[in-house]
Amino acid sequence: MKRIHNSKGAIIAFGLSVAALGFAAIAPGAPVIQSAYAKPPAPMAFCHAYPEAKACNTGFAECVACHTTPPARNAFGMQISEKLAPGVARPLSDEDFLKYLPAALKAVEDLDADSDGFSNIVEIMAGTQTADANSVPRALACAADDASRAADAQWNVCSFDAAYAFRKVHMDFCGRSPTRADMDAFRAITDEKAKLARISEALDQCLDSPYWLGPNGAVWNIANAKIRPAHAVKSGENPGPVPLGDYDDDYNLFTWANSDDHDVRDLLLAQYFVKRTGPVTLEQISEEELAKRPRGTAQPVPKEKRVGMISTRWFGAVNTMFTSIPRTTAAQAYRSYLGFDIARMQGLNTVPHEPKDYDIKGVGAPECAVCHATLDPLSYPFTRYNGISGGYSYNDDRLKDYVRVDGPRVAEAPAGGMIIGQEVADLLEWGKVAANSDAFAMKVTYDYWKLLIGREPDVNDQAEYTRMWRGLKSATTYNYRVEKMLHDLVLTNAYGRP
Amino acid sequence: MTKHIITGLAAIAALAACATAPEPGLPQFAADAPAPVASVDPRVKFKDGERYLRDLSANLDMPREEICKELSRYDCMTDAFRIVLGGVEAPNLLVNEPIENAALTSPIAVDRVALHVCSNRVRMDRENPAKAVLFRAGAFGADGQAKNPDAKWLNATADAIYGSILMRSPSEREIQNLTAYYTQVSDGRAINSPDVAADWVILSCFAVASSLEAVFY
Repeated sequence: MKRIHNSKGAIIAFGLSVAALGFAAIAPGAPVIQSAYAKPPAPMAFCHAYPEAKACNTGFAECVACHTTPPARNAFGMQISEKLAPGVARPLSDEDFLKYLPAALKAVEDLDADSDGFSNIVEIMAGTQTADANSVPRALACAADDASRAADAQWNVCSFDAAYAFRKVHMDFCGRSPTRADMDAFRAITDEKAKLARISEALDQCLDSPYWLGPNGAVWNIANAKIRPAHAVKSGENPGPVPLGDYDDDYNLFTWANSDDHDVRDLLLAQYFVKRTGPVTLEQISEEELAKRPRGTAQPVPKEKRVGMISTRWFGAVNTMFTSIPRTTAAQAYRSYLGFDIARMQGLNTVPHEPKDYDIKGVGAPECAVCHATLDPLSYPFTRYNGISGGYSYNDDRLKDYVRVDGPRVAEAPAGGMIIGQEVADLLEWGKVAANSDAFAMKVTYDYWKLLIGREPDVNDQAEYTRMWRGLKSATTYNYRVEKMLHDLVLTNAYGRP
Repeated sequence: MTKHIITGLAAIAALAACATAPEPGLPQFAADAPAPVASVDPRVKFKDGERYLRDLSANLDMPREEICKELSRYDCMTDAFRIVLGGVEAPNLLVNEPIENAALTSPIAVDRVALHVCSNRVRMDRENPAKAVLFRAGAFGADGQAKNPDAKWLNATADAIYGSILMRSPSEREIQNLTAYYTQVSDGRAINSPDVAADWVILSCFAVASSLEAVFY
């Protein structure tokens, strides 16, 4: 799936969100109503019409398929709008919208919204943008003559070039080029299978290197945006001036789950912690050892309530902080582990009759409800986990402490919620649903793809990218073992074709 | 330093010019290998400062922690140019991911690092000729009696520069480009001066170390 990372669009969307929140702030107790302007069911309805479309890998398309910044439509959205139930009074109810949308989509299939020479339906199925003339399906094959010449050149730019991949593996995983002797020895190999085996052997060696696995190494740095460390409030080793929590625990667990023969789903399932025993060695911490920790680095959530990376002391300290309904925490978890950035209107999956606005923040205002109908049910399972207030612990009655500040209804917020269309009873289930989702496998694969290929997977990468993340999920392929996936990723054309 | 940079840029320009339009009097390579096939989907990646310095450290036999220090104190990557050279610094600067596009100052930083490293390598070579990597005096002034650098010495030095930095043998054209550049470096100066020869090695090293092939992969 191609994710749209349009910084200008994101800034505008963020600005609108801030404006909407500001409006909500001056009108507390605003009635909870569904938006009359945006159509949150649309992404899922689009994918019901085109389940095989590349944009529907996760089950729902992104808003930018039809909008610039919702509710403003792009060229494709405007074509649909013209064909959508003409003559019927606006605004359409959600029911009418869903009823008439398939016919409208069908009616514009053969049109070309962005005038790039490719019809809308061709672009939908190819995974390119229907409203962006610069986004067009294209073949990446070399002409026969070029392919023949390239095969004899220093770099074979027309197919997988084993020598190029061998060099890249050293650079990406070991942090250095191969030696001249290594390179000469590799070039002396004539058997193609032997070349691939040598690449795999080099990868195995580099996967245990400090550059890849060590503190501040490549895997560590993938976790930065998920953990969001801040030295000023670090506790434990090398503490900051206001020590609140030790993110070393988070980095260690992340590295553990992404290395060796470990299940990467433990990012959202682990009920243990990990310590570093050497530059590239880690081991699980016993509960006895964990219990002996001083107050500043304790992990107060009891073992049976732990949910991997999203229930750690640090995660609560920097995300939940002092809030009753930890929306920031849920949004960060959704963004970090499923790849859906709600601030960019990704992963919206409206839950009927939400948001209920238990804490009287005005999130039911139409401009806010577009996102909060997804975000709030996503957040409820986090409400029993304390941030800074409450000492990072688990407490079934936690919300009673917020009644004075957030009103009496805050205590009614449920422990259960909804994530990607599935009801969950608590954060443990939230973690399980998330960890087993396509979106999680895609996000794990996406992070490595971006790091190793050097860019987001684009339309021409879809076959190989899809093979990777589906393989990660498959028990008979990589079975959630990242290193197994990486062994195949370095043999893809995307990686090894110069 | 400014003079070095300007001369270095001139070196790059001269090398580029040589590559596309050989000057009269120089060997012609028009019948060289046919033009390379362009990649249909190029994915060239920046090495980033740390990997760049690690490579130069290994290839030029200079300890990583000493290879490049701004003001003789600050490591060029860790302390001086970390972010513009594609690094991250999450806990203090909150830069969680490398910058998406090179900063305006990124190429300046790369050039500065390359010049630092090459200058240091040649200085070390002159201080300890027995362990010289690039500036091997050899027949040229080893005994203090400087002679005009001959083609053999120039070719061997050019070969050492390519071999050390890019870990491959240079093509005939690449050797020719570097050796022809000596006359520009020595213009107006004593051609047999060790200082001139050292400047030529520094600037040739700089030209190769700041090339696309050395900085990207």
